[in-house]
Amino acid sequence: MTTIALSAANIWKSYGSVQANRGISLSVAPGEIHAIVGENGAGKSTLMRVLQGIERPDSGHVTVMDREVAFSGPGDALAHGIGMVHQEFMLAPDLSLLENLVLGDEPVSFGRGAFARIDWQAAEAQGRELAQRIGIEVDWHRRAGAAPVHIQQFVEIIRLLRRGTKILILDEPTAVLAPQQVTELFDLLRRIREDGTAVLFISHKIREVTALADRVTVIRQGEVAFAAAVSETDGEEIASHIVDGHNPVTDNVKRGTPGSIVLNVTGLSAASVEKSHPLHDISLTVHAGEIVGLAGVAGNGQVELMEALFGLRAATGKVELKGTDLSGLDADRRRAAGIGFISADRRHEGLAIEASIEENTIAGAHRAAPISNGLWLSLRARKAVALERLKRLSVKYGTLRDPVGSLSGGNQQRVVFAREIAGPPQLLLVSQPTRGVDLNGIAAIHSILRDFRDAGGAVLLVSEELDELQVLSDRIVVLAQGRIVGELGADADRRDIGRLMVMEGAGV
Amino acid sequence: MTNWLNRGLGFAVPLLIALLVSAVVLLAIGENPLDTFSLMLTEAFGSPRRLASTLSAATPLLFTAIGTAICFRAGVFNVGADGAFLIGGLAAVVAGFSLPAELGWALAPICLAIGAIFGAAWLFIPGWLLAKLEVDEVVSTLMLNFIAAAITGYLVNGPFLSAQSGNNVTPLVHEAAELSRLMPPATLHSGFLIALAILAAYAFWTRRTSAGLEGAWVGLNRRFSRVVGVSVQRTIILAMVLSGVVAGLGGAAHGLGQLHRFTDGFSAGYGFTGMAVALLGRNTPLGMLIGSILFGALASAGTTIQLFSNIPLDLVNIIQGIVMIFAVIELGRITIRRRSKT
Repeated sequence: MTTIALSAANIWKSYGSVQANRGISLSVAPGEIHAIVGENGAGKSTLMRVLQGIERPDSGHVTVMDREVAFSGPGDALAHGIGMVHQEFMLAPDLSLLENLVLGDEPVSFGRGAFARIDWQAAEAQGRELAQRIGIEVDWHRRAGAAPVHIQQFVEIIRLLRRGTKILILDEPTAVLAPQQVTELFDLLRRIREDGTAVLFISHKIREVTALADRVTVIRQGEVAFAAAVSETDGEEIASHIVDGHNPVTDNVKRGTPGSIVLNVTGLSAASVEKSHPLHDISLTVHAGEIVGLAGVAGNGQVELMEALFGLRAATGKVELKGTDLSGLDADRRRAAGIGFISADRRHEGLAIEASIEENTIAGAHRAAPISNGLWLSLRARKAVALERLKRLSVKYGTLRDPVGSLSGGNQQRVVFAREIAGPPQLLLVSQPTRGVDLNGIAAIHSILRDFRDAGGAVLLVSEELDELQVLSDRIVVLAQGRIVGELGADADRRDIGRLMVMEGAGV
Repeated sequence: MTNWLNRGLGFAVPLLIALLVSAVVLLAIGENPLDTFSLMLTEAFGSPRRLASTLSAATPLLFTAIGTAICFRAGVFNVGADGAFLIGGLAAVVAGFSLPAELGWALAPICLAIGAIFGAAWLFIPGWLLAKLEVDEVVSTLMLNFIAAAITGYLVNGPFLSAQSGNNVTPLVHEAAELSRLMPPATLHSGFLIALAILAAYAFWTRRTSAGLEGAWVGLNRRFSRVVGVSVQRTIILAMVLSGVVAGLGGAAHGLGQLHRFTDGFSAGYGFTGMAVALLGRNTPLGMLIGSILFGALASAGTTIQLFSNIPLDLVNIIQGIVMIFAVIELGRITIRRRSKT
């Protein structure tokens, strides 16, 4: 009798100087659902990559069905019965669900290799039998891309079961699903559990963990912070372990002195990007001389909110800047009205990475005096404006003509700031300002933001780093599933913030 | 420095490979490659008259290359310069023989403007379709080329068929509408000067105007462009329309300067050779000037070379083809960029 379907023992894995996994151990028994929770960057993905044979651990063992294994690649893990359903579905959208089900392992009635005749009747029978066993209905002849998302997800699961998967790993499976569909997925997973399949379930939502899982492991900073049987703990206790209790040292941090209202948002709603949450009825204000931090697990509407505020995404509701209604205006007009935008995606949105440092620095100001006289550009004024802007933020670079991609991450980000605060704007929308930036760069960017605030600017700051939010912000607003679920002071206990982020508004 | 080196190599490598492959072909048919190449050089550049005929052959290519480059640098893969060349050419020629000759010196500029306007209108169609409805521009411009060939083919054989001369040609334009010959009796005409002026304007537009700058940004990164307040849709449509202006003007200059009429088979694939020139020259003014003269030289040397040697004209076509293929390696990069633009 197998007692352990899959276990990881003392897994260490580092990337360069980053220790992603520091001695993680966990195990899942046949017929058990084991939830893994943790912040972005806690080390969950690395662990999953190790369990799937994509990465080799630096040290530690992986055991499958009571036997120690050393995977040579992802195919090896599949052969051992480990299957993973990713956040992005892996179905071929233009094939039917049935074709997707058997793709790569088709039942054959005649011949072999390239001349084999695929036995579609057998394929359909297999599909129907599996679907029945886990209690769902599938229209097998439907084009995969046209099927509802939860059906696509179920077919991925069935596809893995058909290939002999005994250990199913699901990476945030509910992120794309509506509440009704989540219920269906959970019913399905419970039936799979009864068949003796082991399920590893990665989630950010405590309520789902307590509703579904048998055991839970919390990973924090590459280590197991907490592990327990779900029956012996509760949501509060789990949530308290996701974020550590060590608030950053903020004794010497100078906070802002908020003035009049700069940004006033009422009832903002917007459609979502894929696998994220639509914005629902967001209302918030940001004052002059104030940094408002927006906390939340990635994909809970942060991208949508920032894009909607800057006019890059269609939205309903009202956005006012110093009493002027900006609703419905495009990015160009909002920029002119006094909004700066620091994109979370520096390489693909914040900068044109192949264009010169000079062009990246002056973009947006290229149509007005002194650079343009309405007909053509003054190269001298263009250069002068660029030099002045770069000097103000002491950006280090070779020559103005170098592609901006040749700079370090920190200096690239300074170029973005140099462009966006040059106006100067009244409101700066800032997303993940220090992602991929070294320590010195982080300090510099923090002081740029503080200086901007102290000069009377308003800042709305999105960051996945709670430390960063607490060090910089004057207030913290928590976003979960596209809604604002709470507001705290910057010195609030970070466990409270973490709890709000994962409890789906239970704390409000 | 490295930038210059890169650009130079990007230009020289396709050419060198083409020469190498051609040398192998020449050796295989028992000819001395060096002799042949020097004969070609002499035929293309050996005397003022030969030079004039090379530049004359380069003129339409320069127009279509610039027209194509305007779109390529904005990430718009417009292959429709040929269609705009035809439409602009026919429109200008029809104006050239049907407007009153009494307009005198003003007639030629009017006809050129008409050619440019028709070219612009022609490529506005795929530009609008791309910007507003996301219709793939490769498909739409390619198909519009066929439609342009069919429309002009019909008109030149029907409504605008010349009563006097044989078949498939329109009447000659008024003498006042003709572009002057620069070095008679060579066919080199002032359209070449117009092409050079357009090239200078293109150089100015790309570096010294906000619209030109925005075109490059949209080509490099559309999300960035939106963030810095550039309308991607407007930039795409503008690129297409400007491309149509230049290609249409090219057709007009070809009709008014070279042929003095419109004929069936008006464009000997100028749109496509121009595309190769734009790729080879990497959209740079100097690169496209050299590229168009190179292809012009191949075309003019090719026609005379078989008179003086055993070299078949096909060999020249082979060289041209090989240069294009290696120029198109650059096209592979553009296509990747196109895919990743959304």
